[in-house]
Amino acid sequence: MSNGPAGQDFFAASEAAVADTQLRRKLENATGRHLDHVAATRAEFPAYEDERDASRRIKEDSIARLDDLLAQLKERLEANGCSVFVAADAAEARKYIVDLARERGARRVIKGKSMATEEIALNSALAEAGCQVVETDLGEYIVQLRGERPSHIITPAIHLSKEDIGLLFNEKLHVPYTSEPTALTALARERLREVFLAAEMGVTGVNFAIAETGTLVLVENEGNGRMSSTLPEVLVAVMGIEKVIPSMADLSHFLEVLARTATGQKLTTYTNFISGPRRAGEADGPREVHVVMLDNGRSAMLADPVLREALYCLRCGACLNVCPIYRRVGGHAYGSTYPGPIGSIVSPSLFGGATAALPFASTLCGACREICPVKIDIPRILLHLRWKETAAKETTDKDAGTLPTPVWPRAARRARSGVRMFSRMANHPMTARVMGRMAALVMWPFAHRGYVRWMPPPFSSWTRVRDFPVPRFRRRRKARAQLKPAKDGTQT
Amino acid sequence: MAEFHKLIANVRDALERRAVPTHNGAAESAKAVPTYKAARRVELASQFARELEAVGGHYLGTVTPKEMVARVRGVAAALNAQSVAVGTGLVIDPAPMMEALKLAGITVFRTAAVDDDAGRAELRGKLARCDFAVVEADCAIAATGTLAMVATPERPGSLTLVPPVNVILVSADLILPDLAAAISTIGSATIASHRLALITGPSRTADIEKRIVLGVHGPRDIYVAVVWRGDD
Repeated sequence: MSNGPAGQDFFAASEAAVADTQLRRKLENATGRHLDHVAATRAEFPAYEDERDASRRIKEDSIARLDDLLAQLKERLEANGCSVFVAADAAEARKYIVDLARERGARRVIKGKSMATEEIALNSALAEAGCQVVETDLGEYIVQLRGERPSHIITPAIHLSKEDIGLLFNEKLHVPYTSEPTALTALARERLREVFLAAEMGVTGVNFAIAETGTLVLVENEGNGRMSSTLPEVLVAVMGIEKVIPSMADLSHFLEVLARTATGQKLTTYTNFISGPRRAGEADGPREVHVVMLDNGRSAMLADPVLREALYCLRCGACLNVCPIYRRVGGHAYGSTYPGPIGSIVSPSLFGGATAALPFASTLCGACREICPVKIDIPRILLHLRWKETAAKETTDKDAGTLPTPVWPRAARRARSGVRMFSRMANHPMTARVMGRMAALVMWPFAHRGYVRWMPPPFSSWTRVRDFPVPRFRRRRKARAQLKPAKDGTQT
Repeated sequence: MAEFHKLIANVRDALERRAVPTHNGAAESAKAVPTYKAARRVELASQFARELEAVGGHYLGTVTPKEMVARVRGVAAALNAQSVAVGTGLVIDPAPMMEALKLAGITVFRTAAVDDDAGRAELRGKLARCDFAVVEADCAIAATGTLAMVATPERPGSLTLVPPVNVILVSADLILPDLAAAISTIGSATIASHRLALITGPSRTADIEKRIVLGVHGPRDIYVAVVWRGDD
């Protein structure tokens, strides 16, 4: 646990999470609904793939000349009247923001949703300095009331059901219990409205920073980001250094893909462009704007030619929703601000410690690479990080730099030999048929509704966690019959 | 000078470029719209209306300035409004509408430049208490049902953020096909010197079980009237 709220053992935490069937049901529901929205929105936008390619190219270009773009961005932001602070690590960023709150006498701080501020654990630092910090994104507000960390990049309270939230509001806000999402949202609106109108300082993240004009772009749906960046006198925007893009013309490509992938919307409800403090005569907008450019391990990622690609990430959260591991264990098991596939590749660089094991928490199925709006090859980076982690452990390895022979755990060895046996069998149709029928005959007496619930060791390691489907005796012949055209010539 | 304006108009028509709205709010005079352009405008307006309704906004129709006054009064009556905030117009003249609302016994106030903290606090309080705000958009995006609002002293960003309901007016010739067109029309120079918000429907969340709820922190309802200034 170097500098962030990270550092538990994934494998221990995930075992507990998998056993929580309620959690799995909630995750399946929410992520499934998200994927339906995404598929529907993409289907009606033929230019999606073109926009995705364009976004990828712009990110490649931006990261390749990050030094120039950051210099240009800083110059333009300052010309627009913003203060820019470059923070090498989380501690520097925290200190700058806490000192600023002290100097300006800000007692109440409102926060728009920002993963970068989660990364630097800003809330606890501000609270220690005596500030009242209120998260204003509904999901963040909920997890803050529970004293938890967000479990998803864009849906922080994905691990909670509406009943959980109803009970939470009943207990913490002293309101009558309801599990109706509309009523719960109205309650939060009412509570947070007072806070918005009174706060002295607003803290937000940044989705894109445009070097050409010195403009910060913030996308959101609730209006809380806009409130936080419009109403308080002091605005602090915390951005990872990878958020910079060259020009305004580049931005529209990203906006075309971001919401479509993140939430299945064509465009988020609010896209806020902030180029500086309010001008003379303006009734709202902050008097001063501070931009914190956060390195915190990013320049080290940049130095690794494979890991560099992880800096293209837009933090849309889609890879979490498609990930078979995330969908079963949820975000908290990862023990990092950034969970899921993208979290498994950025967390080791940003937080170190126990998160170094996260690259092993993947099946390498590649669904994340398929859905990524900027086509980050996450499985490749995961393998790269596994290699690095293993190489680092094998300090005695004489020829450093070559791939050390992996030491597979026993279960993995057994699984591999099982798969090898199966593939040998499946390559011989006659053998496969005979073996299949034999297996069906042996299993049939023990089957219940087509599944075997219990088998003796070594097969029990399968049936302990899931049922085994009994091979069907006549499936092959039936399937073939179904493929034949019907007599009247139509396909059935 | 008239000759010069005519030349510019001819060149613009030939290039199919639209005039960029100026932020000092001078209303353009009504002029006839060539048929092919009118057809394109109608097409974009109907696409805009469909997308707006898809994200939960309410479409008040494509209307003449006179009809617009009636529609805004209709919204005020439906909401039983007592107090209405009005952002100063860009190309649409808000004066007849304000007159009509006042005649209906509604308190109407126009947002204007303020220079001191007291003025700012007063305006914020008024906006928080008003029943709805009427404001004109700089342009709209047909493909997504989006409204672009550039914040100025006369039309502060809070107008489309703090009141519970918004009525947004957009001139029919300022409905653009897509996001890229909107960003280039507004222009980098304007964005670098003003705050800009692209608004796509009412404020919403899906944070509780991924179920969509409208009206979280920003307005719960957005009514949009597309105003056809060209041929009345």
